[in-house]
Amino acid sequence: MHATICDLITDLTQNSIEAGATEIHLKVEETKTNLNVVIADNGKGMSAEILGKAKDPFYSDGQKHKHRRVGLGLPFLFQTAEMTGGTATIESEEGVGTTVAFSFDRANVDLPMFGNFATAAVTLMAYGFDGNLIIERSVNGKSYSASKNELAEVLGDLSNTESLTLLKQFIQTNEKEILNPNI
Amino acid sequence: MAKMTLEELRNLRDAKKKEMTQRDTNDKSAQIIIGMGTCGIAAGAKEAFDAFLDELNSHEIKDTKITQTGCMGLCFSEPTVEVDVPGMPRVIYGNVDGKIARRIVKEHIMGKALVSDHIFDKPAADIIK
Ligand SMILES: Nc1ncnc2c1ncn2[C@@H]1O[C@H](COP(=O)(O)OP(=O)(O)OP(=O)(O)O)[C@@H](O)[C@H]1O
Ligand code: FES
Ligand SMILES: [Mg+2]
Repeated sequence: MHATICDLITDLTQNSIEAGATEIHLKVEETKTNLNVVIADNGKGMSAEILGKAKDPFYSDGQKHKHRRVGLGLPFLFQTAEMTGGTATIESEEGVGTTVAFSFDRANVDLPMFGNFATAAVTLMAYGFDGNLIIERSVNGKSYSASKNELAEVLGDLSNTESLTLLKQFIQTNEKEILNPNI
Repeated sequence: MAKMTLEELRNLRDAKKKEMTQRDTNDKSAQIIIGMGTCGIAAGAKEAFDAFLDELNSHEIKDTKITQTGCMGLCFSEPTVEVDVPGMPRVIYGNVDGKIARRIVKEHIMGKALVSDHIFDKPAADIIK
């Protein structure tokens, strides 16, 4: 499996969607030294027992992946944290929501590639769930934010080619601006 | 392109809307459904998404829908993509990388011919129908 950090972010955000969240906050911050990510949702949460199991690479709720039955999201997160000396935490309360947070050292040689955040953001925004997704993104102090509800209000249906293209341009131009050290 | 604000996005959207001729799209448009489960993503489903969008744009095809679904349970053939063109059987393609995605747009969506060497499955119900 050649997953990038952005693939991991996608998976963790999908977990929130799968938990029936109506409000998901995704914060992705790069500083000079660190990569800090927080995914907070108001989904169904987990009991202490499930939370304990969720960190086990061979646990998945058994409804997905009929042919595989192995969860990759959370185990991959904890494994990466361990391998790179980073931190990863998960807090969850049944019926209230879940917050997953991690912080990795950007210079660690074992850290997976970061990947393409623009595509991850576009696919998550267009994933087609009922709730709102708010993305807050910052790189070395420069930032932008995007809200799925606001974007859908402007663009309408987020599944046709035209809306998706505009959505991608919106995310890409904002990414470019915060990644460019000269502006 | 400079950083786009929400207001600029709205203006662009409105300009595009005016350009558009009256089209009755909803149920007649083709649909591409990309499996975005964990192994689909690890196998390159996001690259396929980008390639589909790019290829549709380069041929100015505006009414095709691209949607996503979670795990399709076919992890041995990820990325998996279902294509539904009105008047044609629904088809599931396996191992869809960027190159195959572009072929699907050109051959299946535009040319109305199946990309036979990448078909994973043709659900029986659709054949009967
Ligand atoms: N945000 C969340 N809210 C509620 N439950 C969660 C959340 N995140 C994870 N879980 C629980 O933890 C389990 C393991 O999650 P994980 O992402 O590792 O695997 P999965 O989602 O089941 O499968 P995969 O990610 O490989 O498609 C999930 O099945 C779910 O029961
Ligand atoms: S994403 Fe579930 S089997 Fe591939
Ligand atoms: Mg998951």
